[in-house]
Amino acid sequence: MKKIELIIFGLLLLGGFIAIFLPDTKAFKHVIDADTLLYEVSKEGRYISTDELAQAIMENDPSYIVVDLRSPEEYQKYSINGALNIPYENIFDEENLVYFDQDVYTTVLFSNGSSLADQAWLQLRSYDYQGNKVLKGGMNKWYQTIINPKEPTGNALTDKTYNTYLFRKGASQFFTGIQPVPSAVPDNNKTSKPSVTPVVRRKKKEVSGGCG
Amino acid sequence: MGPLYPQELLSGEYNLLFAFLIGIGFGFALEASGFTNTRKLAGVFYGYDATVIKVFFTAAITALIGLFILHYMGWIDITATFFPRTFWIPTLVGGAIMGLGFIIGGFCPGTSLTAAVTGKIDAMVFIVGVMIGIFTFIFSFKAWAGLRAAGNLGRVNLPQWLGIKEGLFIFLFTIIAIVTFFFFQKWQNSWKPKMEQKDLDDLGL
Repeated sequence: MKKIELIIFGLLLLGGFIAIFLPDTKAFKHVIDADTLLYEVSKEGRYISTDELAQAIMENDPSYIVVDLRSPEEYQKYSINGALNIPYENIFDEENLVYFDQDVYTTVLFSNGSSLADQAWLQLRSYDYQGNKVLKGGMNKWYQTIINPKEPTGNALTDKTYNTYLFRKGASQFFTGIQPVPSAVPDNNKTSKPSVTPVVRRKKKEVSGGCG
Repeated sequence: MGPLYPQELLSGEYNLLFAFLIGIGFGFALEASGFTNTRKLAGVFYGYDATVIKVFFTAAITALIGLFILHYMGWIDITATFFPRTFWIPTLVGGAIMGLGFIIGGFCPGTSLTAAVTGKIDAMVFIVGVMIGIFTFIFSFKAWAGLRAAGNLGRVNLPQWLGIKEGLFIFLFTIIAIVTFFFFQKWQNSWKPKMEQKDLDDLGL
């Protein structure tokens, strides 16, 4: 055999030998191993809170895609502003994978509670799709915290909770379009009037913009 | 231009232009390496010329190993490639007919076109024969329905069918190919003393 042939055969043999140690094409493309999955399930980072999502929507943050996993009927009745409707059964449809199998946007999944969105997240993650998050508490939490926030009272009342409340109140106006009834001056026993934090100020600006 | 045209990175006109240029390059390579010589291809079947079998096997293994490793590195998604379902009976029948055509004519469809361009009359006749075969099949398409559907194995590749790891299959296939080259080379060398010098020059051996 010629020298060049020996070199080529040697290279091919080396490549073939390396190939033995690589996993099968199906196995490593689409499935992440159970340990990794279990670890990621336990991490809080896969959740996004209703407050974070509300802020992102009000700021018109372009890096978020919001996906409503409920049925089209429920979606018709009410959904989060700008949400897409991809029912849970259809998440693996070819035309929908563009939202889930990417790492540019954060795709926020939500259903009525957390469990359906959690299932969807788990299934998507097991195929090694990146960038999906679950809206913690789902539509129910969204309603309780953003649409119809409760004013903190008693021991729960601190600067922090009150600021959160003000933010949510503002968000509620943004998402429902209902102007607030001028409320009484906050409780006297409140330690201090909340200083105007950046969060609150930004919200007010956004709200006026949103309603105007 | 495989990935560029479907992704609309390349317009239809440029796609045709690139196809034309690649086609010229391919034809030139075939002619330059002597594949338009009918005796070169026939030599595989008689055992006096191993070139064609080396070229095909090496191309297949290079692509096999290259794609497999690039897929592992995440540069290419091999699951996005397409391969048809396997019907082993019609594949066997069709392969036998095609192989017979190779031996009789001494061309494969690609080399026949290249050879015709260089002015070989037998290649032009070969192309007419190819066309007759194609049209005969088209107009008798319905009659072959039973044969076409026979021996369906589904969309399966060899490692799946054998039930072994893909990497192991690639390694074994490489070894088989190299062993084949080795023994084919010995067979070819045993022919050399019997062949005249002008035949050897003609084949470039």
